[in-house]
Amino acid sequence: MRIRGFIVPAVAALVLTAACGGNEPPPPPAPTGPTQAEIDAANQARQDSIDAANAAREAAAAARAAEQRRQQEMRRLRTTLTDIVHFEYDMADITPESERKLRAKVDILRNSPDIRLRLEGHADERGSNEYNQALGSARAQSVRDFLTGFGISASRFAMVSYGEERPLVNRSDEEAWAQNRRVEFKITAGEIQVSDRDDRQ
Amino acid sequence: MTRWMRFWTMPALVFIGGFLISVGSARAQEEEFPGVTLGLLYETAYQPALALKPFAGRLGGEGPVAQVEAIIGRDLRYTDRLQVMDSLPEALVGGDIDYGLWDKLGAVWLLSGRLEGAGEGYVLSVELHDVVYGEVRNRGRFRIPDAESPDFRLATHIVSDAVVRWLFDEPGMAASRIAFSRRSDDGQTQELYMIDSDGENFRRVTRYGSITLSPTWSPDGKRIAYTSYKSDFPRIYELNLETGEERLLEPVREGDYITPTYNPNGREIAFTITGGAQSGLFTYDLERDCCLTHLSGGRWNDLSPTYSPDGRWLALNSNRLGTATPQIYVMPAGGGEADLISPYLHGNEGYYTSPDWSPVGDFVAFHGRIGRFGRYQILVADVSDRGRRLRQLTSEGNNEDPSWAPDGRHLVFVGRRDWGTGLMVVDTATGNIRLLLRGLDIRIPEWGPSLAVDGPDTLRGGGF
Repeated sequence: MRIRGFIVPAVAALVLTAACGGNEPPPPPAPTGPTQAEIDAANQARQDSIDAANAAREAAAAARAAEQRRQQEMRRLRTTLTDIVHFEYDMADITPESERKLRAKVDILRNSPDIRLRLEGHADERGSNEYNQALGSARAQSVRDFLTGFGISASRFAMVSYGEERPLVNRSDEEAWAQNRRVEFKITAGEIQVSDRDDRQ
Repeated sequence: MTRWMRFWTMPALVFIGGFLISVGSARAQEEEFPGVTLGLLYETAYQPALALKPFAGRLGGEGPVAQVEAIIGRDLRYTDRLQVMDSLPEALVGGDIDYGLWDKLGAVWLLSGRLEGAGEGYVLSVELHDVVYGEVRNRGRFRIPDAESPDFRLATHIVSDAVVRWLFDEPGMAASRIAFSRRSDDGQTQELYMIDSDGENFRRVTRYGSITLSPTWSPDGKRIAYTSYKSDFPRIYELNLETGEERLLEPVREGDYITPTYNPNGREIAFTITGGAQSGLFTYDLERDCCLTHLSGGRWNDLSPTYSPDGRWLALNSNRLGTATPQIYVMPAGGGEADLISPYLHGNEGYYTSPDWSPVGDFVAFHGRIGRFGRYQILVADVSDRGRRLRQLTSEGNNEDPSWAPDGRHLVFVGRRDWGTGLMVVDTATGNIRLLLRGLDIRIPEWGPSLAVDGPDTLRGGGF
C-alpha cells in the first residue's frame, strides 16, 4: 500500500502538469520526470521508514517479552516467597524441607528490601484451641528467627497466630492435619525487585 | 429418715491409688498411669427424694405457674443431688399438707409454692418442708417478672439456687450462664454466644465477622472479656453486658494477646502475650486501664491462666520443660516458682491443657490425652495434694476445655462424638453426663459466676 501510495500521486501529478496547457498546444514537453536519483532517494526513504517501523515493532515486542519475563519471574518469586512451610505434629522446629523453602525466601528478601511480610502461624485441630494458638505463634516465631538469622531485619516481619481456627483443609485426617500445620506468608508492603541476573534466567 | 442422712448426699469422692477398688454398683474403667492409677469410679451418692407440690396461683392463666414449676423442677434435677418428683397430679394442689401422704410417696423433702400477681410481675412464695419431721424448714418470697420479660427465667433460677442453699448450704448453679464461641458453617468466623445453665436462652453476643474466642466472666457476671481477631491481630476486649460498651486492652507490647481470665477481685485480667519481645503471662489493671505486669515467661509458652478463688494462686498451661507436650502448673498469682500438677513422666509426657480452677475449692479441671487411642478426656486434680489425686471424668469420644459451674461440682465441656459436637455437663460427684446443646461447632465454653446474689429481686430468701 505504501508503495502504491507513493507512485500513484506522482503519476497523477505528471498527467495534470501535461494537461495544463494554454490554447496553443505547447511544445511537446521535454520528457521530464523524477530522475533516477530522485526515485532512488524515494525508495530509500521508503525502505528506511519500513526498517524503522520494523525496528520499533521488534523493540516493542522485545520489551513486551522482557516485561512478560519480568512478570513471570515476579510471579515465580512471589510464589517462592509466599510458599507455605509445614511442621511436624506439635512441633515448631524448621524441617529440612522448610529450611530449603526458607533459604529461597532469604534471597528474595535480600533483593527486595521494601518487602514486608506477615507470618501467619497455624496448627492442626488436635489438642486445645488455646494451646494451638500458642503453638501457631511459636511456629511463626521459629520462621522469623530463621530468616533474621540470615541478616533479614526483624522489623520486616509481623507475626500472628490463628491456632487451629483457620484450617487450610477442612477434614480430620492425617493428610489434612499435615497441610494445616503451617506458616503462611502474606506480603503486606513493598514490590518484589527482579534483578538482571534473575531477568536472564 | 433423719437429718444425718443429709451428710450422705455430700459428693462421695473416691480416689483409687495403686489398685482399683470395686464398690457395689460403681462403674470402673481402668486407665494406667505412671505412679497413679486412674479410672472412672463413683460411689453412688444417696440422693434424697424431693417432691414438688404443684404450685398454686390465683392468676388469669395457669401459664406462668406451670412454667415456674417446670423450671425449678428441672433445675433441682440438674443439681444431681436429689431425686425430684415433679409434674404430679393436679389433685395434689392446694389444701393443707398431709406429711403422712408425702412420706408414703417416698418424699424426704417437699417444696410447695404459690405465684401471685403483684402489679407488674409476680411474687413467688415457696416453702421447703421436712417431710420426716413434718415441718416447714425454710420459706422465701421472690419477685418474678412477667413471663415475657428476659429476666423471667433468671429470676426463677434464683429461687432454685435458694432452695439448694437451704438444703445443702452450698452454692447452686441454676442462675448462671455459659459463654462459648461457635464456628460458622463455612468455617470462616467464630462469634461468641451464651446460654443459661439449663441450656435455654440461646443467644448471640458478638457480631464481628471475625474469630472471637476464650471468653472469661467478671466475678459479678456483668462483663466478659475475650480474644478477638477483629482488628486482624488477636487482642483482648472487655464487654459490659449491661451497657454494651466495649473496650480494648491497650496492646502496648508487640505480640498476640490471648487466653484472658479475670482475677476474682474483678480489677485485673491475666492473659498471655505470645510472639513478642517478651512472651508470657501478664496482668492488666482494669481500673487504671493500663499497666502491664509481667508474671512469668521465657522461650516457652505460659498460657490459659486461671485463678484460685482467693486470688492467691494461678493454674496455667506451660511447655516450659522443653518438650512439645504442655503440662499444668500452679504458681503464686504474682509469679514465682511453679509446681507441676499434671502426671508428667519423662519419656511419656502426655498432653495436658485448658486448666480451670474450681470457684469453691482446691480442684483444677483440665483435659489430657489419655490411653491407647490418644483421645482427650476431662480430668480433675486435687491441688492441695499437688495433683497426686487425679480423677478422670469422661471416657467416650473426645472431651475438651472443661469449665466449672459456680456450684464447684459440675463441669461444662466440649464433647465430640460420632454424631458431632456438643456442649456437655458432667457431675464430678456421680459422673452423670448430660447433653446441654448439640449439633453446633462449639469451642472453649466458660461457665459464669452465680447471679443469685441477694439483691432487690429477693424479697426474703433466707431461712428462719
